[in-house]
Amino acid sequence: MSTLRKLFAVVLACTLLLSACAALAEGETVTINFWHHYSAQSAENETLMNVLIPAFEAENPGIKVNAVSHEWAELHDKVLVSANSNALPDVARCDIAWLPEFQQMGILVALDEEMPDFTKVSGQLLDSAMSTAQIGGHYYGLALNTNSKIVFYNTAMLEAANVAVPTTMDEWVEAVKALSGENENGQQVWGWNEPALAGWNICPFIWSFGGALTNEDQTVATGYVNGPATVKAVETFAQLVQDGAITGFNSGDIPMTDGFGTGRYAMMLEGPWKSAELAGAYPDVAYGTAPIPAGEGGSVSVLGGEDIAMFNTANQEAAWKFMQFMTSEFAETEMAKCGQIPVNVAALESDTVKNADYAPFIEAIQTARARPTVAAWSEMDNGLQVALTAVVNGEKTAQEALDELAAEWDALLK
Amino acid sequence: MIQKSHLNRAQLIALLLPGFIVFGMFTVYPIVRLFWMSLCDMRFSSMLTQPFAGLMNYREVFADGTFWTVFVNSVVYTLVTVPGQMAIGLFVAVLLNGIKRFSVTFRVINYLPVVTSWVIASLVFRYIFNTEGLLNYFLWKVLGITSGNIRWLDTRWSGLTVAMILGIWKGIGWNMVIFLAALQQVPKDLYEAADIDGCGAWKKFVYVTLPGIKGTILFALIELTIGGFNVFTSIKMITGGKPAHQTDTLLTWMYYKAFSTGQFGYAAALSFVMALSLGLLAIVQFRMMRNRDA
Amino acid sequence: MKRINAAKLRSAIVRYVLLAIGTVVFTLPMLYMISTSFRPNGALYEYPPRFFPRPEALTLENYDYILHQSKFYLNFLNSVFVSVSTILIAAAVASAMAFVIGKFKNRGTKTLFAFIIITMIIPGTTMIVPQFELATKLGLVNRLWGLIPFYVAWVIPFSTFMIKGFMENIPNEIMEACWIDGADVWTVYTRVALPLASPALASVSIFNFLTAWEEYPWANTVINDTSLRTLPIAIAGFFGQHQFTQWGYVFAMSVLTLIPVVLIFIFCQKFFVQGLTAGSVKG
Repeated sequence: MSTLRKLFAVVLACTLLLSACAALAEGETVTINFWHHYSAQSAENETLMNVLIPAFEAENPGIKVNAVSHEWAELHDKVLVSANSNALPDVARCDIAWLPEFQQMGILVALDEEMPDFTKVSGQLLDSAMSTAQIGGHYYGLALNTNSKIVFYNTAMLEAANVAVPTTMDEWVEAVKALSGENENGQQVWGWNEPALAGWNICPFIWSFGGALTNEDQTVATGYVNGPATVKAVETFAQLVQDGAITGFNSGDIPMTDGFGTGRYAMMLEGPWKSAELAGAYPDVAYGTAPIPAGEGGSVSVLGGEDIAMFNTANQEAAWKFMQFMTSEFAETEMAKCGQIPVNVAALESDTVKNADYAPFIEAIQTARARPTVAAWSEMDNGLQVALTAVVNGEKTAQEALDELAAEWDALLK
Repeated sequence: MIQKSHLNRAQLIALLLPGFIVFGMFTVYPIVRLFWMSLCDMRFSSMLTQPFAGLMNYREVFADGTFWTVFVNSVVYTLVTVPGQMAIGLFVAVLLNGIKRFSVTFRVINYLPVVTSWVIASLVFRYIFNTEGLLNYFLWKVLGITSGNIRWLDTRWSGLTVAMILGIWKGIGWNMVIFLAALQQVPKDLYEAADIDGCGAWKKFVYVTLPGIKGTILFALIELTIGGFNVFTSIKMITGGKPAHQTDTLLTWMYYKAFSTGQFGYAAALSFVMALSLGLLAIVQFRMMRNRDA
Repeated sequence: MKRINAAKLRSAIVRYVLLAIGTVVFTLPMLYMISTSFRPNGALYEYPPRFFPRPEALTLENYDYILHQSKFYLNFLNSVFVSVSTILIAAAVASAMAFVIGKFKNRGTKTLFAFIIITMIIPGTTMIVPQFELATKLGLVNRLWGLIPFYVAWVIPFSTFMIKGFMENIPNEIMEACWIDGADVWTVYTRVALPLASPALASVSIFNFLTAWEEYPWANTVINDTSLRTLPIAIAGFFGQHQFTQWGYVFAMSVLTLIPVVLIFIFCQKFFVQGLTAGSVKG
């Protein structure tokens, strides 16, 4: 026991010493906390940690950046919880869909009011992208990157099944069915992968089918989210799930990238980051891209992207410097190398971006629509997932589930 | 027995105090606070004001369909895993009790799952049970028992089944050790007497072994019931409550309500109901134990 | 006589066969985890799936990544710091309480003990909401050492309960002799009670170490910074990227995390059994 005790003492002493050293080394510097959802082992995260932050720290001696990676949904929850526990970071990279909610909680800094050089900085960014940060006449963030989703298809699988790339929703239904079945090993293959049943996943179908989530003013859901076109979109999708032609959102499914890379999913709707991911993990798979098939509503994808926002507990001076850096031509060009479409006008003109072949995505952005820009969106999105799960599992008809959802949403939108 | 003059009150109190403070501050205070929070309207938006709301949270909990779903899930989980791991653990202990060689080896190996952390064990099970995983291949293509891949993780009861198999797997070792210790305390002469009476192995087990380890059985029952309702990490890692909260248990649902939707009042009411019912259940079980002693 | 021996032999064979089969089935999940940690990530969806990797496909790349590219060392040190601090503080405060409760019985100490025992029936996670609020008020959110008081508070009931049993068994004659020699309470606690209760302290500490080492819900709730994460959150974080999970990394990290636990378990088996059975047999 006594040797054990000595061992404990030594270990404890070492640990304490280490943390003391770390504390001393920090000295006079300001540390800003930056939360993001670049996934921990992604190329984006490596660029952030090994290129951008070192460059920023070299440019700004006295400021250190503590970058923290969270999973997408977890980042949203962590921000909400931290807002109530005085543990907010200084800066965060936020999904554009979260901004209204955070703004309503009163935790964001209105940049155009607080930062004297705001107009100069925002002038370097695309107006359309900056509009995602504008709520009630003020700007609560800087646009960081933009994106939308387009169809990725496995060339060999489409050829083998003699299926053309679908351009209309009717063709899409037929193609997804035709591509499903079994491969030569007797394993099941699916025509389409959809990794979740959230708004981000289902909205492109609803909109392309000519449906809607709410009215133009985003005050009423009844008659829109349970309107005939939306119901038809959900019914069509659910039918394909039940026919074994779509999967990906179940806990036991092969993850999207692995399934596409190993020829188990023939098509998927994904963003510009997917090319880099596929090149890294499955360099041999041959694929093509196409816009989302057009339905009665046209070819409408979902507008994605992130803003970089400052919280009201931040060290404003250092945080503002970092935000400017992250939206600068240099940082945006570096991030463009791993699938983040810049919104910095100068970066968009750079050779990196031109060579990256973002054209199909930028084209999709032109017709893409944003998810409702309301504070209750996260809660509405949770309800949507529950409703869709019930429909694809055959527990409720699309009409029943969406009627209930519409009533729920009406209350939230008030 | 101890002379008063030696009782240095100040020193006694000084010895009690550190533990008392930590325990009071980080366990007792939160319990009291939990009750108070359950009576307040606490949400992300009203965190600072915390208006008193009476029994509103409790009404919300009991009127919530999802609450009853996760309640049934927790009860089923406990009703299956507790007897399951006790029975298998006892069986292994009985087997081990009769052998001399390799007894320690078997014991060590079977105890390893207990010391494996829940996060790791859950991820291993998730990997084994995923639809394209090894288990489905084995059942389908090697044994031919099934005629396709079973979607273990995708539906309510199959997802819970995986969590329950994990719970039993992880609990057998603990039961084995405590039952083995109990078996070794059962007087040998009782077995000899039973032998003389011509009792078979099963009769000996029912009439000698079981009564002899009754105390341990009750102890395990209480401990494991609490543990069963405490299931959290495995559900979070294996299904994450999917699909649509149908595989959530009381605690994962409580956690979701608190830390994802910010309804702290609802979560507190749910927690308090749970703590209270488990307390009552434990008192009933304690009573049973005391009756046996009397 | 012969008949009995034959029956005994048969029974022994049945026992060994059943145990052997059971043990093999029982260890398969862990073996599969270890075998997966030595495969390249690309081989995870190979067909047909294999329990053991093909020898030519064995690789150390997952371990290489975990040891050199991730913050594994930091996560490991964090876990060591939290666990060791927890067991040291818990051993000190719980043994002091157990000594007073076990050896100086009066209405006050009895009530205190009953109170401590009652809290054992409340699952720890149910208190996560008020505890989170408390951590916020005390500024313990996102602080590594902020985990320690909560862990200590969780393990106090069980530790006190266990150690009290040992303290009660200290013969009163020894205590009497000390009082006659003019020793005070503090001296008796440190010189007599602690050494006599050291086996109990050892087994309690092992259990407390496991509790702190594997704790996930609380640490995941209050720790944000990547550099402050303990091992369970780090592992869960590796898995969390739901678009594609690198199981090879997850399991390599898991194996490395389990090694110290398994070593402690194998070398301290005696204390394990002692700790487990102390409460159960007495009833």
